[in-house]
Formats: sequence, structure tokens, C-alpha cells
Amino acid sequence: MKKTLFILGFVMFVFGANAQTVDEIINNYLENTGGAANWAKLSGVKMEGKVAVQGMDLPIEMVQTKEGKMYMKFSLQGQEITQQAFDGNEAWGMNFMTMKPEKSDSETTENMKRNLGDFPDPFLNYKEKGFKAELIGKETVDGTETFKVKLTKKPLMVDGKEVENLVFYFFDTENFVPIMVEQEVKYGPAKGVTSQTMFSDYQEVDGLYFAFSITEKAKGTPQSQAINITKVILNPSVDDAAFKFKD
Amino acid sequence: MKRTSRIAGLLLGLLQISFFSTGQDIVTLKGDELFGSLSARQIGPAVMSGRITDLTGHPSDGKVIYAGTAGGGLWKSVNGGASFKPIFDKYNQSIGAVELDPNDPDNTIWVGTGETWVRNSVSAGDGLYKSVDGGSSWNKVGFENSDRISGIVINPKNSKEMYVGVLGALWADSDERGVYKTTDGGATWTKVLAGMPNVGCSDIIMDPSNPDVLYAAFWEFRRTAWSFSSGGLNSALYKTTDGGKTWNKIHNGFPSGELGRIAVAVAPSKTNIVYAVVESKENKGLYKSEDGGATWVFSNGDFELTVRPFYFSRIVVDPKNPDVVVKAGLSGSISRDGGKTFRNLGFMHSDIHDIWFDINDPNRFFAATDGGVYRTWDGGTTMEIVESIPVSQFYHVSVDNDEPYNVYGGLQDNGSWFGPSASPGGVEARDWTPVGMGDGFRVYRHPTKKITYSEMQGAEGVWRFDVVNNQIRNIKPTPAKGEPKYRFNWNTPIQISTHNPDRIFIGSQFLLVSNDMGANWQKISPDLTTNDPAKQNQSESGGISTDNSGAENHTTIFSISESPIDEKIIWVGTDDGNVQVTQDGGKTWTNVVGNIPGLPKNTWAYHVQASNFSKGTAYAVFDGHTSGDYKPYAYKTTDFGKTWKSVVTPDIVGFARHILEDLKNENILYLGTEAGLFISIDGGANWSKFTNNMPSVPVHYIAMHPKTNDLVLATHGRGIIIIDDISPLRQINQEMLAKEVHFLKSEPMPMWEESNFGGSSGETAFVGPNPDRSGRIIYYLKKRHTFGAMTLEVQDLQGNKISSLDPGKQKGINVVNWNFRSKAPKIAKGKTFSFDGFSAPRVPAGAYQVVMKKGKEEFSHKIEVIYDPRSEISLSDRKAQEELTKQLFDLSQDLAYLVYKLDLQLEQAEKAKAADPKSAKSMNALIGELNKLKETLVITTGDNYVGTAEPQLREKISKLYGIVVSNYEAPSPAQVESKTDLAADLGKAKTTFDGIGSKYAKTIDNLVKKGVIEAIQIDDFKTFIEK
Repeated sequence: MKKTLFILGFVMFVFGANAQTVDEIINNYLENTGGAANWAKLSGVKMEGKVAVQGMDLPIEMVQTKEGKMYMKFSLQGQEITQQAFDGNEAWGMNFMTMKPEKSDSETTENMKRNLGDFPDPFLNYKEKGFKAELIGKETVDGTETFKVKLTKKPLMVDGKEVENLVFYFFDTENFVPIMVEQEVKYGPAKGVTSQTMFSDYQEVDGLYFAFSITEKAKGTPQSQAINITKVILNPSVDDAAFKFKD
Repeated sequence: MKRTSRIAGLLLGLLQISFFSTGQDIVTLKGDELFGSLSARQIGPAVMSGRITDLTGHPSDGKVIYAGTAGGGLWKSVNGGASFKPIFDKYNQSIGAVELDPNDPDNTIWVGTGETWVRNSVSAGDGLYKSVDGGSSWNKVGFENSDRISGIVINPKNSKEMYVGVLGALWADSDERGVYKTTDGGATWTKVLAGMPNVGCSDIIMDPSNPDVLYAAFWEFRRTAWSFSSGGLNSALYKTTDGGKTWNKIHNGFPSGELGRIAVAVAPSKTNIVYAVVESKENKGLYKSEDGGATWVFSNGDFELTVRPFYFSRIVVDPKNPDVVVKAGLSGSISRDGGKTFRNLGFMHSDIHDIWFDINDPNRFFAATDGGVYRTWDGGTTMEIVESIPVSQFYHVSVDNDEPYNVYGGLQDNGSWFGPSASPGGVEARDWTPVGMGDGFRVYRHPTKKITYSEMQGAEGVWRFDVVNNQIRNIKPTPAKGEPKYRFNWNTPIQISTHNPDRIFIGSQFLLVSNDMGANWQKISPDLTTNDPAKQNQSESGGISTDNSGAENHTTIFSISESPIDEKIIWVGTDDGNVQVTQDGGKTWTNVVGNIPGLPKNTWAYHVQASNFSKGTAYAVFDGHTSGDYKPYAYKTTDFGKTWKSVVTPDIVGFARHILEDLKNENILYLGTEAGLFISIDGGANWSKFTNNMPSVPVHYIAMHPKTNDLVLATHGRGIIIIDDISPLRQINQEMLAKEVHFLKSEPMPMWEESNFGGSSGETAFVGPNPDRSGRIIYYLKKRHTFGAMTLEVQDLQGNKISSLDPGKQKGINVVNWNFRSKAPKIAKGKTFSFDGFSAPRVPAGAYQVVMKKGKEEFSHKIEVIYDPRSEISLSDRKAQEELTKQLFDLSQDLAYLVYKLDLQLEQAEKAKAADPKSAKSMNALIGELNKLKETLVITTGDNYVGTAEPQLREKISKLYGIVVSNYEAPSPAQVESKTDLAADLGKAKTTFDGIGSKYAKTIDNLVKKGVIEAIQIDDFKTFIEK
């Protein structure tokens, strides 16, 4: 009875925790979440969800496209606030006080450009993107054995200096989906802090698996912020204007 | 309390039944599989920081600095030393040397573990580590048995070629010593200059202009528990000019005979200039060579150049000026004339171990002291402490019964302190109060009075301190006439009694007790030690430089435990390996150590602990590391020491110093070892290392708070670490471990009526986090939840949703906090935010259920919420507050619904106007009337800051709601009246809106009929609220 829903989904999954190469892990991951070919076909993803803040469930909406455009907006007391948007060229976000869009600093924009290859998944054709992946070893995350994989992406600009862009993925050894991502915060007041993003509630959407629960926290602190996805729309039609900075 | 222990007993019974009756596999969870989200809280303090052993920095980016510490791991600053963060928490926390690859300084870091400033309390390392990503991840490269690594040097032209200096073991002979070379980046190593069983490499330097030229200092040294010896004929300074193939002793000009520790430095800007500081009997001090070490000239023998060479043996030359030299020392001193004369560095914590010069501006440098990292901008005149490195080394910890409770303990070279376990804004530096000086050790609060007991090294001072009146009394016991001199350990045991609040014990070779807070002392034992005279020659200790600090005092009592069940039963452990017990209050004593199986003779009885549950039961922990034995020893007896059983398993890493039996469950044991905290929930059959936000730091002492069930750890390198409320561990049993999901029982949860305005620390200061005082919903998951939906809700008993929570999904124990609040009201949409509308009401006390939906399954669990039991607010006051809150909440939502409907009408009118110009006149009138009404309901102009507009009905309701919801007391009559007025205003507005609606109903109807516009689809109130 129990778990029927997802047991069925698991049938096609690759299991096993034998000696693995990093490419086997990545291939299993892409295969288990829908197949590299299917991921490659995606032109965009829209996610709707909720984030709980101080007893309020704020509706949020996130869109990412193959061209690297994105926005993330939430709604508060009926007002829509675009927290971050990028049209492939210019990054911006709204000021909370004036509710007006303001351009992000040039380094943030530059780094968003450097992250253009991330969609739909940094591991998809990662070598062609010039990324490097390395298996660091096994580590326990949330009481669960994982493969720790270091992904080196294109360098970022931080305070005028090019720095390595490292992201650590922790793939569950049983089913090869990442359950945590660790990354050092590169700028701002939290510079030097390691951020941890936990992934769970993976669910299938038209043949692809997405984490419907994404929780972010600073390593070593108990406070965390969860985003709960309620709906994922593949290849959505989005008005281009939503990504663009408007004066 | 009784109930819990009965439950624990019952559960234990169940465990055994299920085990014996079914023969099922026992589920044994280890590490964070078990502990889940139970997490440690590091509260520092950083007020005195702690011992920093080695510094290094980026060769071109002055913002990047690394600080290795004695027991708190490796810290990195990326902001020019303004603040530091730990980057080595999982590994050995005792750092000998840290070095950056000069060819890849952004990424490649080498760390040699094992401090080389070998004081009595020093920790040992376990090898060499490398990171290739700036410290994000680490790999051990080897040198498992090196004990301590003194230096790492890398060819600036070829990263594959490097040398490591291994000082080796301090307490015993060892082979892994000397200079090692690799030419393949660390894959393979060759010993190019060997040490001897008691001689190791204490310093290694490469000529920056020629990677084939190296200088290596070798040191003959040995420590025992009762002595230290520095120096011998095998201490020497060597040089190679062929990359380590051949080495020559370079002593031309040095004193002859036995030498001690030697420090060496090459001037980077003029590499033929070499400085060496030599420990010797005659002419000790600084030597200078201007020919690359071929000849030496004695230069300076000042105190700072010669003081305690085993502790201060580092000399550093300005990267740009060969005449500027800094010598580590008691104060540290700087020469600007090539070592002829020296001036002390500016005021800072004493005991300076290393200096790091900024490559770009040598006026800016950093100093490693016993009390943290200091920075200077003016060449060392003014020193300023870095406030973000909590690497304090506690020897002991105890707690009191205040709320919040205070934590007491003594620190390596940093006095004795107490501080709160929680404080507004977090536990800040200013929250800590000193209650002793010198090296601090055991500190206790009098059980009922505001008085502390503390001491300094070797009981040089034993203080009773009246914290309220600031009165200090030295209560050090003095031998009575005819009694021998008292021998006190460096870390003298003091122990308060659980039976008599004014009673205090202290141990010399005799056990002494006072029943009047230390005013008078009574000897209640004979010499309980071995009294071995061979271990009592401390005045001759030190080797070449006498070092009789008291740190080597031996054949003393080290641990005292009075049974909490029977005051006549007292256990004593001695540093020379005796365990003595009396059952008659000290009249007769029995040495029971001989009954302990598998324990090497004379192993330091570090901690003895009488059980909370049974008179004959006690625990004893032994530490053999001072004779080179790093194995853990922990035993339990149930018959007053006649027989003992080891509770050690291979799960345990590091030698043990402390054991604590849980206050409520005999089967839960906490063990502090050199590598961290280990917990057993099955009486020692299995142990798990606790790693959630808990570094691999030595745990010297453990206390448990009887009310909060917090585990409070004295770490020797990362300050005080607290694991809040470990009581969930008491509910773990085989039956629940077998379930998919199991909610743990919880006591009624108080809604603490606390709020504050935060603290005062600046951005770069360390602040220890507070405990989460909200409600804890605790459950066990057999497996991490990764696939499918999972939700967690608090509902009332009728199943109405009160609040949705973010569920924990870890395998093991999950703790989810609930702040006892329901949802915030839905607020009318305006131009700006209503900040008061962000507040959610607290729930009334009562029973609730927690409902977990996991895939298709549903689990629920009842909890009880109570009002703050300390509060004096009456129930009727609370009910009045809750009622008015509810009414204002409803008003807010009613208004939101009205504005929603109004906006729909506005939108419709605008559409009609656009679609059918003929309707413009009537629609403009309608729009005008609607807008006129709307402007009285919500703000339609301005911004969220100082451009804010005049408040309208929404703001008035929210403002009052915001005040009432945040208070606990009954609202005032004026507030109630104000609500009535606002409700009337809203009623009027509704009437006006309905009036406008009726007035234009026909017009709109016609437009709809004509197909100009569509009829408005209005959500009902419930749908609108939930959207």
C-alpha cells in the first residue's frame, strides 16, 4: 500500500553503491531524473510555490530559460516583488522600500552571464560547457550516504578578481539524486560562509524529476528557509518583458 | 522527572523483550543517522580567544590570512583579518604548520597537524592535510604517526617539490621524525634528514632565492607527566645546498655543548642574512649570520629572546627589510637594527608564537598569541584583537540553576569565567564575567549563593568570590603543623557537594573538605597517591632552561566525586593512576585500581564519577597519553570497584578524559575524548561520535543541566559547546527504530513570554547563538525523505489547520520548531505594505495535533501547549487579549475582502470604458466613486520608507492589531473602544460599497448583456483567504 506512488517511479531507477566513477554517478543521476536527452529538450521551466515567512505563506514564482533568462518573484500583501531577474544581458531586482526595479551591480550581472550554461542542469553536457567534475569521496548527509562531487564551473568575478567557482553536490548513493549542494558565498556580508541547499520531495513532471522542496541554510546554523514547490511547468510561455529591466 | 525515568525503564524493558523474544536484528544507528538534527551550539566565548600557533597569508592578496590554532583548528580570513571563519572542523584541531603553495596560493593549502609549542596541555596531530580548493575540502596526505609537524616548505618554482619538517612525538620515542622530501607533489616521501627517537625537526626554512638551500633545526626534547627536558647533544642546526642530499651542521660561532631549541629565519630580501635563536646554557639568544650560516655572531641575549624556548621559538624577518626582525616571546619584541637591539611589541595578550607580515605593507602585521590573533597597522606599536575566533581552551565546565543558566569554567592561560547560556541577541563577549586569573581550571557556583569558587595553576590561588559584592577571599588550604607540604596538580580538583551547599572538596595528595565554604579545611584521607619521589623533582624540570611553572606537579589527586546518593561514598582518582574509594566519609579508603582489567599501571585517573542510580556504581576514565598511550580507557563498576568492565569499543577515537552518566537514563553515557564527543545509548556497547556542528575538538569536561537536559561541553579549543535538550535520546528504543515514522513524546510546551531588543556586538565580533525556545516537535524517520511530497501541519483537534511547518527529512531524529503562531491575516492590497500585518497571532494554550503527510501516508501526534508558567498574567487577561486579537484579525481580513471586490469592480469599469467608449461617462463616475472610497480604505500613494502616505483604515486596523497581538496582557479599554470605532468605519465602508454597487448595477448588467464586458467572478471569502 504505502509508497506505491513512488515505488512505481523507482522501477526504472538505477540502484547500487558499488565503486563509481564521477561520470557514472552523473549519468545515473541524469538517467534517474528523466534522461539526458529529455533534459536537453527543455526550453524553460516555471516553478510556482510557497515560502513560509513569519507565519505568512508567500507565493513565489521562478522561471528559468535555456537562454539563461530568469526571474524570481514573490507576492506579499497582494504586491508582486521581483527579487532577482536577468534577461541574459542585464540583472536587476526590486527595491523593497520603493518597489521599483534597480539594476544589480556589474559584477553580479557578469557572474550571471558566466553561469549561463547552468540550465537545465549544470551536469548536463558538463564537459562541453568547460566544467570539471571530480568525485571527492563518500560523506553522510542527513544520515544518508552520499557521493560528494566537486563541480568546477566557469570562474566568477569577486571584488575585481577572478576566483574559482566550486559547487559540491552530494548524491544519494542509493538513487543518485543530489540531496545537498554546498557552496561558499563569494560576496556580500556572508562572504566566506558555506551555504547548504537541501533537496527533497522529488516528484515527476512529464517524465522529469524535480525537487519540490528546496531548503537553504548557512552551514552550522539551525535556521533554514524552505521553498515548497506546488507546480512545475515545462516549456512555459513567458512574456519576454518579465525578464527585462524597466525604468 | 520521575515519570520520565519510569518511562525510560519501561522502554528499556520493551527493548529487552523484543530482543529476546523475536531475535530480530538490533538496529544500531551511528553518528548523524541517529542524532539527526540534534545540533550543537557553539557559544564561545571569543572575548579571550585562545592560543594561535601558526600564521600564514596569501603572497599577493593581503585580504587572505590563515591562522592555525592549538586546539581549535584552522581559521581563514578573506577580509584582511577583520574576521575569520573555521575551515578544518572535521579534522584534527591541533595545528602545527599551515602553508600556501606559492604557485597556487588561491587554492592549495597544506596543513601539518600537531602543535609544536609543546606545553603540558598540548594536543597531538595526526598527519599532513592538503586542500586544493581554498579549504572547502581536505585530504590527508600521510604522516599518520608524525604527532606534530613543524614546517612545510614548497619550491616557489615547482609545486611538486616540497619538504616537511616533523618534530615527532612529545611523550615517547617515535621514528617518524626529521625532514621529508617529495618530488611528486606529496604522493611519495623520502626522509632526507633523520631524527632520533627523541630528536625531531623543530624548524625548516627554504632560501626564497634558491630552492636547493634549506635550513633545518633539530631539537632533543621529551616530556613526561612530571617533567620536561629540552636540549641535548643532538640538538643542531643543519643546512643543505643540494636540495636535501647532503646536510651540514652549521654551528660556527654557536655555543658549544648541549643545545636546546633553535629557531631560524632567512631575510627574504637579502637571503645571505640568516637569524637563529639558540637555547643553550651559555650565551643563549640571537645569532646572526651574513654569509648564509657559514659563521654566526652573537647579537642579543635579552629576556624576550631567551624566554621559554620550548614555547616561543619563532623568529620572523620583514619581507622587505632585512634589518626588521620580530621574535616571538612573552611579549614579543621587534628589532629595527638587524637584531642588535629590541623593543617589546605593543600591549596584547602575552605569549606570542608567530608573526605574519603583510607582503605589501610590512607596517601591517599579525601576531599569534595565547589569547588570539592581533593585528597592527603601525609596525607593532598598537595591537588590536580579532574578535571572531572563539578558540578558548576550557579545562572544566559546570552550570548553575539560574534562568537562563550560566556556564562556568577555567581556561588555558585565560583565567576563569562564567557566562549565560542565552542572552538577548546571542551570547556576546560582554556577557562573560571573569572570576579568576592566571590559568583557570575548575570553577563552580555555590549551589544557593551568588558565590563562585575558582583557582589558578597548581592551586596558587583558590578563590571564593562574592559576585554581588565583588569580594574575593583566598581559601587555599594550608598544611597544619607537622603536616607535609601539599602537592597540588596544575589542574587541581575542586568539587562541590550535592548534599551540603556549603561543602567543598579540594585534592592535594590528601583529600581535603570544608563545610564552611573554604574558611576551614579538614584532611579526610591519607596520601592517596603513589607518593613516588622520582616524580616529585619539578624544580629540576625543563632541561637546559629550568621551567618550574607548576605544570609538571605530579603524584596528586586529580578527580573527586561524592556520590549523589550517599555523602559517605567518595571516589578519588590520582594523576599517578590510583582509584580510591571510601564508604565511610573518609575514615577508610580502598585503592581499587588493581581490579581494573587491561589498564597499564600508573595511567592517569583523569575522571571518576559516582553513579546517579546506584551506590556501588561508578565510572572511571584513564588517560595514558603522557606516556605515549593514545588508547581510550573507560570503565564501569557496580560493586564499589571490586570488579570493572570496560565500556570502550572501537567506535571511540582518541584517548578519553571524561565520562558522564545521563541524569535520567543509566544507559546513556557521554564520553569526552581528544577527538570530540561520543555518545552511547546502550550502556557503552556502541558509541557514536556527535558531529552536528561539533568540531573534532578535545572535550575535557561535560556537564548536564538537570532542568533543561542540555549537555554542556568544555572543549579545549572551541570554547563552550552546548547540545540543547538531549532528552529525545532517552526515548530511543528498538521498537521505535523499527518504525518508518515515530513521534517522540514531549512534555507540555511552554510559550515563553520573552522578547528583547537584541545585543550590542559589532559585525566582526563573534556572537554565540541562543537556544531555540519555541516548541519542539520531534520525530524519528527510518529513512531520509527524498521522493514524494511531505508536509507537516499543526492542527487543532478538530483538524483545522493552524500553521504549516517545514518538516525535517533526515534519517534519524528530526527536530522541527514551532513558534506557537498561526497564520498572519490576509491584508488588503494597497500601494505599500502594512508591516503590522506581518504578525501572526499566538495560539491559545491547549491541545493540538501535528499531522505529517508523507506520500500517501498520514501520521499524527498530539502535543500540549501551555502558557508561560512563570508569568503572572491571569487567564481572563489572556482571553481578552486573544479575543481582541481575533476581532482585529477578522477586521483586517474583512477589509481585505472588501478591497478585493472593489478592485475587481474598478478593473471591470476600466475594461468597459475601454471596450465601449459610450460607457465612458457612467464608468468614469463609477470609477470616481470607487476610488474615493478606496482612498479611505488603503494607502494608494507613497513608498514603504519615509515616502509613506497618511494612514487609512487598513493601517489603522493593522496598527492596533500589531500592538494587541504582540502583547500578553489584556488590552486597554481605549484599545477595545478603538476597535469598535474601526469596525463601525468598516461597516460604513461596506454600506457605501454596496450602495455604489446597487447604483450602477443596472448599467453594468446591460454592459454584460451586450457582451462589452464579462460578469465579475468573485471568489467567496474562504477561497479568497486561502488563495
